[in-house]
Amino acid sequence: MLLAGILSALMLSAVFAAGAGAAPAWKFEGKALEGKETVVGAAIDSSLTIPGLTTKCENFLYKLTIENVSGTGKGSVTELPLYNCTTNTKNCTVESIAAEALPWAAQAKLVSSTNYIFIEGIKVGILYGGELCVLEGTLAKVTGTAGGRIDNTAETATFDAASFSATGAVLKALGSTIEWKGVFPTEAFEGHRLQALTVS
Amino acid sequence: MHAKHKRMKAVWAATCLTALAALAFAGSASAKLTGEFTRFEQCPYSNLEVRKCIYSPTEGGEVVLGNKKVPITSTAVLQGGFSKPNPETGVSTFFDAKNGITLSKAPQSVPGGLAGIVPDEKSPFLVKALIKFFFENSLTGVNSTLELAKSPSGIKISENALSEEIGIALEMPVKVHLENPFLGKSCYVGSSSSPVVFKLTTGITTPPAPNKSIQGYSGELNLLEEGSVLRLDKAVLVDNSWSAPAASGCGGILSFLVNPIINGQIGLPAAAGKNTAILKNTIYVGAAAAVRNNNAENP
Repeated sequence: MLLAGILSALMLSAVFAAGAGAAPAWKFEGKALEGKETVVGAAIDSSLTIPGLTTKCENFLYKLTIENVSGTGKGSVTELPLYNCTTNTKNCTVESIAAEALPWAAQAKLVSSTNYIFIEGIKVGILYGGELCVLEGTLAKVTGTAGGRIDNTAETATFDAASFSATGAVLKALGSTIEWKGVFPTEAFEGHRLQALTVS
Repeated sequence: MHAKHKRMKAVWAATCLTALAALAFAGSASAKLTGEFTRFEQCPYSNLEVRKCIYSPTEGGEVVLGNKKVPITSTAVLQGGFSKPNPETGVSTFFDAKNGITLSKAPQSVPGGLAGIVPDEKSPFLVKALIKFFFENSLTGVNSTLELAKSPSGIKISENALSEEIGIALEMPVKVHLENPFLGKSCYVGSSSSPVVFKLTTGITTPPAPNKSIQGYSGELNLLEEGSVLRLDKAVLVDNSWSAPAASGCGGILSFLVNPIINGQIGLPAAAGKNTAILKNTIYVGAAAAVRNNNAENP
Protein backbone atom coordinates (compact mmCIF):
# COMPACT_ATOMS: atom_id res chain seq x y z
CA MET A 1 0.00 0.00 0.00
CA LEU A 2 2.80 2.34 1.01
CA LEU A 3 4.82 1.33 -2.05
CA ALA A 4 1.85 2.02 -4.33
CA GLY A 5 1.50 5.46 -2.77
CA ILE A 6 5.18 6.26 -3.28
CA LEU A 7 5.02 5.07 -6.88
CA SER A 8 1.94 7.20 -7.56
CA ALA A 9 3.66 10.21 -6.06
CA LEU A 10 6.76 9.60 -8.14
CA MET A 11 4.67 9.24 -11.31
CA LEU A 12 2.77 12.42 -10.54
CA SER A 13 5.95 14.37 -9.91
CA ALA A 14 7.38 13.01 -13.17
CA VAL A 15 4.30 14.21 -15.06
CA PHE A 16 4.54 17.68 -13.51
CA ALA A 17 8.25 17.84 -14.20
CA ALA A 18 7.63 16.98 -17.84
CA GLY A 19 4.87 19.61 -18.06
CA ALA A 20 7.02 22.34 -16.57
CA GLY A 21 10.27 21.58 -18.27
CA ALA A 22 9.31 20.00 -21.58
CA ALA A 23 10.99 22.05 -24.25
CA PRO A 24 8.82 22.48 -27.33
CA ALA A 25 10.18 21.55 -30.74
CA TRP A 26 9.51 22.80 -34.27
CA LYS A 27 7.27 20.39 -36.16
CA PHE A 28 6.07 20.18 -39.78
CA GLU A 29 2.87 18.26 -40.39
CA GLY A 30 3.24 16.96 -36.84
CA LYS A 31 6.77 15.58 -37.31
CA ALA A 32 9.78 17.09 -35.56
CA LEU A 33 11.96 19.13 -37.88
CA GLU A 34 15.23 17.47 -38.78
CA GLY A 35 18.02 19.70 -39.99
CA LYS A 36 17.39 23.37 -40.64
CA GLU A 37 14.59 25.32 -42.22
CA THR A 38 14.08 28.95 -43.07
CA VAL A 39 10.92 30.74 -42.04
CA VAL A 40 10.08 34.08 -43.59
CA GLY A 41 7.18 36.43 -43.34
CA ALA A 42 5.89 39.94 -43.06
CA ALA A 43 4.15 41.29 -40.02
CA ILE A 44 0.38 41.45 -40.45
CA ASP A 45 0.44 44.35 -38.04
CA SER A 46 3.35 45.58 -35.95
CA SER A 47 4.17 48.64 -33.88
CA LEU A 48 6.64 49.86 -31.28
CA THR A 49 5.26 52.21 -28.66
CA ILE A 50 7.03 54.60 -26.31
CA PRO A 51 4.24 56.22 -24.25
CA GLY A 52 2.96 58.98 -26.55
CA LEU A 53 4.76 57.83 -29.70
CA THR A 54 3.94 54.76 -31.77
CA THR A 55 6.19 53.77 -34.66
CA LYS A 56 4.79 51.56 -37.42
CA CYS A 57 6.37 50.16 -40.57
CA GLU A 58 4.46 49.24 -43.72
CA ASN A 59 7.06 46.60 -44.47
CA PHE A 60 8.12 44.69 -41.38
CA LEU A 61 9.73 41.55 -42.75
CA TYR A 62 11.73 38.86 -41.03
CA LYS A 63 13.83 35.81 -41.81
CA LEU A 64 14.25 33.14 -39.15
CA THR A 65 16.41 30.04 -39.38
CA ILE A 66 15.08 27.21 -37.22
CA GLU A 67 16.30 23.80 -36.05
CA ASN A 68 15.74 21.40 -33.17
CA VAL A 69 18.71 21.04 -30.87
CA SER A 70 18.40 18.11 -28.42
CA GLY A 71 14.64 18.19 -28.93
CA THR A 72 14.29 21.91 -28.29
CA GLY A 73 13.25 24.38 -30.94
CA LYS A 74 16.03 26.88 -31.51
CA GLY A 75 16.63 29.49 -34.14
CA SER A 76 18.08 32.80 -35.10
CA VAL A 77 16.61 35.91 -36.66
CA THR A 78 18.99 36.65 -39.49
CA GLU A 79 17.21 39.46 -41.33
CA LEU A 80 14.69 42.11 -40.34
CA PRO A 81 14.29 44.70 -43.07
CA LEU A 82 12.04 47.59 -42.07
CA TYR A 83 10.69 50.05 -44.60
CA ASN A 84 8.22 52.92 -44.87
CA CYS A 85 8.06 53.66 -41.18
CA THR A 86 6.02 56.46 -39.66
CA THR A 87 4.87 57.64 -36.25
CA ASN A 88 1.39 58.42 -35.00
CA THR A 89 2.35 62.03 -34.26
CA LYS A 90 2.20 64.90 -36.71
CA ASN A 91 5.61 66.22 -35.65
CA CYS A 92 7.91 63.19 -35.59
CA THR A 93 9.16 61.34 -38.64
CA VAL A 94 11.33 58.24 -38.88
CA GLU A 95 14.55 59.24 -40.64
CA SER A 96 16.03 55.77 -40.47
CA ILE A 97 15.37 52.46 -38.81
CA ALA A 98 17.49 49.33 -38.89
CA ALA A 99 17.96 46.07 -37.06
CA GLU A 100 21.49 45.82 -35.67
CA ALA A 101 23.75 43.09 -34.32
CA LEU A 102 21.98 40.32 -36.22
CA PRO A 103 21.58 37.36 -35.86
CA TRP A 104 19.40 37.34 -32.75
CA ALA A 105 19.06 34.03 -30.92
CA ALA A 106 15.56 32.56 -30.69
CA GLN A 107 14.14 29.65 -28.75
CA ALA A 108 10.77 27.92 -28.43
CA LYS A 109 9.50 28.05 -24.86
CA LEU A 110 6.63 26.44 -22.99
CA VAL A 111 5.10 28.66 -20.31
CA SER A 112 1.95 27.52 -18.49
CA SER A 113 0.98 25.15 -21.32
CA THR A 114 1.34 27.87 -23.97
CA ASN A 115 4.14 27.85 -26.52
CA TYR A 116 6.18 30.97 -27.14
CA ILE A 117 9.09 32.07 -29.24
CA PHE A 118 11.63 33.96 -27.17
CA ILE A 119 14.11 36.24 -28.94
CA GLU A 120 17.25 37.60 -27.27
CA GLY A 121 19.79 40.26 -28.17
CA ILE A 122 17.33 42.49 -30.01
CA LYS A 123 18.81 45.77 -31.17
CA VAL A 124 17.00 48.22 -33.44
CA GLY A 125 18.17 51.78 -34.02
CA ILE A 126 15.51 54.38 -34.80
CA LEU A 127 16.51 57.91 -35.76
CA TYR A 128 13.62 60.33 -35.40
CA GLY A 129 13.36 63.59 -37.29
CA GLY A 130 11.21 66.68 -37.65
CA GLU A 131 12.06 70.19 -36.50
CA LEU A 132 9.01 70.22 -34.23
CA CYS A 133 9.82 66.78 -32.79
CA VAL A 134 11.58 66.78 -29.43
CA LEU A 135 13.36 63.56 -30.43
CA GLU A 136 14.81 65.12 -33.59
CA GLY A 137 18.30 63.79 -34.08
CA THR A 138 17.93 61.33 -31.21
CA LEU A 139 18.90 57.77 -31.98
CA ALA A 140 16.54 55.57 -30.00
CA LYS A 141 18.20 52.21 -29.45
CA VAL A 142 15.58 49.54 -28.88
CA THR A 143 17.29 46.71 -27.00
CA GLY A 144 16.31 43.66 -25.01
CA THR A 145 14.23 40.52 -25.45
CA ALA A 146 10.85 39.69 -26.95
CA GLY A 147 8.40 36.87 -26.37
CA GLY A 148 5.70 35.94 -28.89
CA ARG A 149 2.79 33.54 -28.37
CA ILE A 150 2.64 30.74 -30.94
CA ASP A 151 -0.74 29.88 -32.40
CA ASN A 152 -0.42 26.48 -34.07
CA THR A 153 -3.84 26.76 -35.73
CA ALA A 154 -3.33 30.18 -37.27
CA GLU A 155 0.42 29.55 -37.77
CA THR A 156 1.32 32.88 -36.29
CA ALA A 157 3.43 34.33 -33.51
CA THR A 158 1.79 37.20 -31.64
CA PHE A 159 3.86 39.70 -29.68
CA ASP A 160 2.01 41.83 -27.13
CA ALA A 161 2.08 42.90 -23.49
CA ALA A 162 0.68 39.53 -22.35
CA SER A 163 3.27 37.49 -24.27
CA PHE A 164 6.07 39.73 -22.96
CA SER A 165 4.81 39.33 -19.41
CA ALA A 166 4.48 35.53 -19.72
CA THR A 167 8.01 35.10 -21.04
CA GLY A 168 9.64 37.78 -18.89
CA ALA A 169 10.72 39.66 -22.01
CA VAL A 170 11.59 43.37 -21.80
CA LEU A 171 12.34 45.84 -24.58
CA LYS A 172 13.77 49.23 -23.70
CA ALA A 173 14.43 52.44 -25.58
CA LEU A 174 15.55 55.85 -24.33
CA GLY A 175 15.72 54.40 -20.82
CA SER A 176 12.08 53.34 -20.80
CA THR A 177 10.24 50.11 -21.32
CA ILE A 178 8.49 50.05 -24.64
CA GLU A 179 5.69 47.94 -26.03
CA TRP A 180 5.98 45.86 -29.17
CA LYS A 181 2.79 44.61 -30.73
CA GLY A 182 2.86 42.39 -33.77
CA VAL A 183 1.39 39.35 -35.46
CA PHE A 184 3.82 37.39 -37.61
CA PRO A 185 2.82 34.50 -39.87
CA THR A 186 5.20 31.52 -39.67
CA GLU A 187 5.74 30.04 -43.09
CA ALA A 188 8.54 27.73 -44.19
CA PHE A 189 10.43 28.86 -47.25
CA GLU A 190 12.68 25.89 -48.11
CA GLY A 191 12.17 22.09 -47.85
CA HIS A 192 8.94 22.34 -45.87
CA ARG A 193 7.21 24.92 -48.01
CA LEU A 194 3.41 24.86 -47.71
CA GLN A 195 3.62 22.46 -44.76
CA ALA A 196 1.97 23.42 -41.50
CA LEU A 197 4.52 24.60 -38.94
CA THR A 198 3.62 23.95 -35.34
CA VAL A 199 5.43 24.12 -32.04
CA SER A 200 4.79 21.47 -29.38
CA MET B 1 -8.39 127.98 -38.57
CA HIS B 2 -9.11 125.30 -41.14
CA ALA B 3 -5.39 124.50 -41.47
CA LYS B 4 -5.09 124.30 -37.71
CA HIS B 5 -8.05 121.90 -37.57
CA LYS B 6 -6.48 119.71 -40.28
CA ARG B 7 -3.18 119.68 -38.36
CA MET B 8 -5.01 118.69 -35.16
CA LYS B 9 -6.73 115.84 -37.03
CA ALA B 10 -3.39 114.64 -38.37
CA VAL B 11 -1.84 114.73 -34.88
CA TRP B 12 -4.83 112.87 -33.48
CA ALA B 13 -4.62 110.21 -36.22
CA ALA B 14 -0.91 109.76 -35.60
CA THR B 15 -1.52 109.45 -31.87
CA CYS B 16 -4.20 106.85 -32.47
CA LEU B 17 -1.92 104.89 -34.82
CA THR B 18 0.92 104.99 -32.29
CA ALA B 19 -1.41 103.78 -29.56
CA LEU B 20 -2.70 100.97 -31.78
CA ALA B 21 0.84 99.96 -32.70
CA ALA B 22 1.82 99.97 -29.04
CA LEU B 23 -1.18 97.80 -28.24
CA ALA B 24 -0.24 95.41 -31.03
CA PHE B 25 3.32 95.14 -29.72
CA ALA B 26 2.09 94.71 -26.20
CA GLY B 27 -0.13 91.93 -27.52
CA SER B 28 2.74 90.10 -29.14
CA ALA B 29 4.97 90.57 -26.10
CA SER B 30 2.35 89.09 -23.83
CA ALA B 31 1.69 86.08 -26.07
CA LYS B 32 0.84 83.12 -23.92
CA LEU B 33 2.14 79.64 -24.42
CA THR B 34 -0.48 76.93 -24.05
CA GLY B 35 -0.74 73.36 -22.85
CA GLU B 36 2.53 71.61 -22.04
CA PHE B 37 4.42 74.50 -23.66
CA THR B 38 3.62 76.85 -20.77
CA ARG B 39 6.55 75.47 -18.77
CA PHE B 40 8.94 76.85 -21.37
CA GLU B 41 7.93 80.48 -20.89
CA GLN B 42 11.44 81.38 -19.71
CA CYS B 43 13.19 79.40 -22.46
CA PRO B 44 15.06 81.72 -24.85
CA TYR B 45 13.33 79.99 -27.79
CA SER B 46 13.47 83.06 -30.03
CA ASN B 47 17.23 82.51 -30.23
CA LEU B 48 17.57 80.21 -33.24
CA GLU B 49 20.66 78.55 -31.74
CA VAL B 50 18.38 77.13 -29.06
CA ARG B 51 17.11 73.75 -30.28
CA LYS B 52 15.50 72.48 -27.11
CA CYS B 53 13.93 74.02 -24.04
CA ILE B 54 14.26 72.49 -20.59
CA TYR B 55 12.26 72.85 -17.39
CA SER B 56 13.42 70.57 -14.63
CA PRO B 57 12.14 70.84 -11.07
CA THR B 58 14.21 69.01 -8.46
CA GLU B 59 11.56 67.81 -6.04
CA GLY B 60 13.56 65.62 -3.69
CA GLY B 61 16.82 63.91 -2.94
CA GLU B 62 19.72 65.01 -0.80
CA VAL B 63 23.10 66.70 -0.83
CA VAL B 64 25.78 65.29 1.44
CA LEU B 65 28.52 67.87 1.96
CA GLY B 66 31.36 66.40 3.97
CA ASN B 67 29.62 64.95 6.98
CA LYS B 68 26.47 67.07 6.70
CA LYS B 69 23.44 65.60 4.95
CA VAL B 70 20.82 68.07 3.74
CA PRO B 71 17.57 66.60 2.43
CA ILE B 72 15.95 68.44 -0.47
CA THR B 73 12.48 69.47 0.68
CA SER B 74 12.01 72.69 -1.26
CA THR B 75 11.72 72.52 -5.07
CA ALA B 76 14.47 74.13 -7.14
CA VAL B 77 13.97 74.59 -10.88
CA LEU B 78 16.59 74.46 -13.61
CA GLN B 79 15.30 76.08 -16.79
CA GLY B 80 16.57 77.52 -20.04
CA GLY B 81 17.48 76.22 -23.45
CA PHE B 82 20.21 74.21 -25.08
CA SER B 83 21.82 73.90 -28.47
CA LYS B 84 22.15 71.05 -30.93
CA PRO B 85 24.74 68.66 -29.48
CA ASN B 86 28.34 68.87 -30.57
CA PRO B 87 28.65 65.95 -33.03
CA GLU B 88 31.90 64.78 -31.44
CA THR B 89 31.17 65.15 -27.73
CA GLY B 90 27.38 64.87 -27.78
CA VAL B 91 27.30 67.81 -25.36
CA SER B 92 24.98 70.78 -25.86
CA THR B 93 25.60 74.39 -24.87
CA PHE B 94 23.21 75.78 -22.28
CA PHE B 95 21.38 79.10 -22.64
CA ASP B 96 20.24 81.26 -19.74
CA ALA B 97 16.54 81.50 -18.82
CA LYS B 98 14.92 84.69 -20.17
CA ASN B 99 14.27 86.04 -16.67
CA GLY B 100 17.82 85.23 -15.60
CA ILE B 101 16.64 82.66 -13.07
CA THR B 102 18.24 79.62 -14.64
CA LEU B 103 18.52 77.84 -11.30
CA SER B 104 15.92 79.03 -8.84
CA LYS B 105 17.00 79.58 -5.26
CA ALA B 106 15.35 77.03 -3.00
CA PRO B 107 16.66 77.24 0.56
CA GLN B 108 16.89 73.83 2.22
CA SER B 109 16.87 73.54 5.98
CA VAL B 110 20.16 72.25 7.42
CA PRO B 111 19.45 69.62 10.09
CA GLY B 112 20.82 70.70 13.48
CA GLY B 113 20.73 74.38 12.52
CA LEU B 114 23.40 76.74 13.74
CA ALA B 115 24.42 74.49 16.62
CA GLY B 116 25.09 71.78 14.08
CA ILE B 117 27.66 73.81 12.18
CA VAL B 118 28.97 76.24 14.85
CA PRO B 119 28.91 74.24 18.08
CA ASP B 120 29.11 76.35 21.22
CA GLU B 121 31.63 74.16 23.04
CA LYS B 122 34.20 74.37 20.22
CA SER B 123 33.94 78.11 19.66
CA PRO B 124 36.38 80.81 20.85
CA PHE B 125 35.10 83.28 23.47
CA LEU B 126 34.26 86.01 20.97
CA VAL B 127 32.22 83.69 18.76
CA LYS B 128 30.60 82.10 21.81
CA ALA B 129 29.50 85.50 23.09
CA LEU B 130 28.07 86.52 19.75
CA ILE B 131 26.37 83.23 19.05
CA LYS B 132 24.67 83.41 22.46
CA PHE B 133 22.65 86.35 21.14
CA PHE B 134 21.40 84.35 18.16
CA PHE B 135 20.43 81.38 20.31
CA GLU B 136 18.66 83.65 22.80
CA ASN B 137 16.68 85.17 19.92
CA SER B 138 15.90 81.83 18.29
CA LEU B 139 17.86 82.75 15.16
CA THR B 140 19.30 79.28 14.97
CA GLY B 141 17.91 77.96 11.71
CA VAL B 142 20.38 77.56 8.87
CA ASN B 143 19.44 77.22 5.24
CA SER B 144 21.59 75.92 2.47
CA THR B 145 20.88 77.03 -1.08
CA LEU B 146 22.44 75.71 -4.27
CA GLU B 147 23.35 78.55 -6.60
CA LEU B 148 25.06 78.57 -9.97
CA ALA B 149 28.72 79.46 -9.47
CA LYS B 150 29.27 80.56 -13.06
CA SER B 151 27.22 81.86 -15.95
CA PRO B 152 24.67 79.35 -17.28
CA SER B 153 26.89 78.75 -20.31
CA GLY B 154 29.03 76.76 -17.86
CA ILE B 155 26.25 74.15 -17.71
CA LYS B 156 26.72 71.19 -20.03
CA ILE B 157 23.95 68.83 -20.99
CA SER B 158 23.98 65.56 -22.91
CA GLU B 159 20.58 64.25 -23.96
CA ASN B 160 21.98 60.90 -25.04
CA ALA B 161 23.73 60.37 -21.70
CA LEU B 162 20.52 61.33 -19.95
CA SER B 163 18.37 58.81 -21.81
CA GLU B 164 20.93 56.03 -22.19
CA GLU B 165 21.99 56.14 -18.53
CA ILE B 166 25.66 56.27 -19.49
CA GLY B 167 28.10 59.12 -18.85
CA ILE B 168 27.54 62.67 -17.66
CA ALA B 169 24.02 63.88 -18.38
CA LEU B 170 24.31 67.27 -16.67
CA GLU B 171 27.42 69.15 -15.56
CA MET B 172 26.72 72.12 -13.36
CA PRO B 173 29.16 74.43 -11.50
CA VAL B 174 27.51 75.37 -8.21
CA LYS B 175 28.21 76.90 -4.83
CA VAL B 176 26.41 76.25 -1.57
CA HIS B 177 25.12 79.35 0.20
CA LEU B 178 24.83 78.84 3.98
CA GLU B 179 22.35 81.34 5.34
CA ASN B 180 21.78 82.57 8.88
CA PRO B 181 22.03 86.10 10.34
CA PHE B 182 25.10 85.04 12.32
CA LEU B 183 26.82 83.64 9.23
CA GLY B 184 26.25 86.85 7.26
CA LYS B 185 25.36 87.18 3.59
CA SER B 186 28.53 85.77 2.10
CA CYS B 187 28.97 82.37 3.67
CA TYR B 188 29.65 80.00 0.79
CA VAL B 189 31.13 76.63 0.04
CA GLY B 190 32.47 77.05 -3.48
CA SER B 191 32.86 80.16 -5.59
CA SER B 192 33.03 81.17 -9.22
CA SER B 193 36.79 80.62 -9.17
CA SER B 194 36.58 77.39 -7.19
CA PRO B 195 33.13 75.91 -7.80
CA VAL B 196 31.66 72.64 -6.70
CA VAL B 197 31.18 70.81 -9.99
CA PHE B 198 28.31 68.34 -10.14
CA LYS B 199 28.80 65.80 -12.93
CA LEU B 200 25.43 64.17 -12.73
CA THR B 201 24.52 60.89 -14.35
CA THR B 202 21.38 58.83 -14.68
CA GLY B 203 23.61 55.75 -14.76
CA ILE B 204 25.95 54.19 -12.21
CA THR B 205 28.64 56.23 -10.48
CA THR B 206 32.19 55.06 -9.84
CA PRO B 207 33.30 57.24 -6.92
CA PRO B 208 36.54 57.08 -4.99
CA ALA B 209 36.32 55.52 -1.50
CA PRO B 210 34.74 55.80 0.99
CA ASN B 211 31.70 56.43 -1.23
CA LYS B 212 30.24 53.48 -3.08
CA SER B 213 28.54 53.27 -6.46
CA ILE B 214 25.04 54.62 -6.62
CA GLN B 215 22.53 54.30 -9.41
CA GLY B 216 20.61 57.06 -11.12
CA TYR B 217 17.58 56.64 -13.35
CA SER B 218 16.63 58.29 -16.62
CA GLY B 219 12.97 58.28 -15.67
CA GLU B 220 9.76 57.14 -17.30
CA LEU B 221 9.47 58.67 -20.74
CA ASN B 222 6.26 60.18 -22.04
CA LEU B 223 5.85 62.13 -25.25
CA LEU B 224 3.34 64.95 -25.28
CA GLU B 225 2.01 67.59 -27.67
CA GLU B 226 2.27 65.40 -30.78
CA GLY B 227 5.87 64.51 -30.01
CA SER B 228 7.06 68.09 -29.38
CA VAL B 229 7.50 67.74 -25.62
CA LEU B 230 8.87 64.92 -23.54
CA ARG B 231 8.47 64.37 -19.85
CA LEU B 232 10.72 62.14 -17.78
CA ASP B 233 9.02 61.18 -14.54
CA LYS B 234 10.98 60.07 -11.48
CA ALA B 235 14.36 60.82 -13.05
CA VAL B 236 17.24 60.58 -10.59
CA LEU B 237 20.51 62.39 -11.30
CA VAL B 238 23.41 61.36 -9.11
CA ASP B 239 27.05 62.25 -8.51
CA ASN B 240 29.12 61.16 -5.54
CA SER B 241 32.56 61.88 -6.97
CA TRP B 242 32.72 65.65 -6.48
CA SER B 243 35.01 67.51 -4.12
CA ALA B 244 34.12 70.56 -2.06
CA PRO B 245 36.41 73.44 -1.08
CA ALA B 246 36.51 75.05 2.35
CA ALA B 247 33.77 77.46 3.42
CA SER B 248 34.55 81.15 3.14
CA GLY B 249 33.02 84.47 4.11
CA CYS B 250 31.14 83.03 7.09
CA GLY B 251 30.55 85.21 10.17
CA GLY B 252 31.20 88.59 8.57
CA ILE B 253 34.12 90.33 10.26
CA LEU B 254 34.64 87.23 12.40
CA SER B 255 35.09 85.03 9.36
CA PHE B 256 38.72 84.39 10.31
CA LEU B 257 37.32 82.70 13.44
CA VAL B 258 34.06 81.25 12.11
CA ASN B 259 35.30 79.73 8.82
CA PRO B 260 37.64 77.27 10.59
CA ILE B 261 34.88 76.20 12.99
CA ILE B 262 32.45 75.49 10.14
CA ASN B 263 35.12 73.75 8.10
CA GLY B 264 36.02 71.58 11.08
CA GLN B 265 32.42 70.77 11.87
CA ILE B 266 31.32 69.94 8.30
CA GLY B 267 34.62 68.37 7.32
CA LEU B 268 35.70 70.86 4.66
CA PRO B 269 37.46 70.85 2.36
CA ALA B 270 35.94 67.48 1.53
CA ALA B 271 37.81 65.33 -0.96
CA ALA B 272 36.06 63.47 -3.77
CA GLY B 273 34.40 60.38 -2.35
CA LYS B 274 33.00 62.12 0.71
CA ASN B 275 30.22 64.09 -0.92
CA THR B 276 27.00 63.07 -2.65
CA ALA B 277 24.28 64.70 -4.70
CA ILE B 278 21.05 62.85 -5.40
CA LEU B 279 18.57 64.97 -7.32
CA LYS B 280 15.07 63.60 -7.93
CA ASN B 281 13.55 65.38 -10.88
CA THR B 282 10.73 65.59 -13.33
CA ILE B 283 12.35 66.69 -16.57
CA TYR B 284 10.46 68.43 -19.36
CA VAL B 285 12.17 68.99 -22.72
CA GLY B 286 10.52 70.72 -25.64
CA ALA B 287 11.51 71.32 -29.26
CA ALA B 288 12.28 75.06 -29.40
CA ALA B 289 10.75 75.35 -32.88
CA ALA B 290 7.49 73.92 -31.54
CA VAL B 291 7.54 76.38 -28.63
CA ARG B 292 8.09 79.22 -31.15
CA ASN B 293 5.14 77.94 -33.20
CA ASN B 294 2.94 77.70 -30.14
CA ASN B 295 3.86 81.26 -29.23
CA ALA B 296 3.07 82.50 -32.74
CA GLU B 297 -0.24 80.64 -32.78
CA ASN B 298 -1.38 82.31 -29.54
CA PRO B 299 -0.80 86.03 -29.89
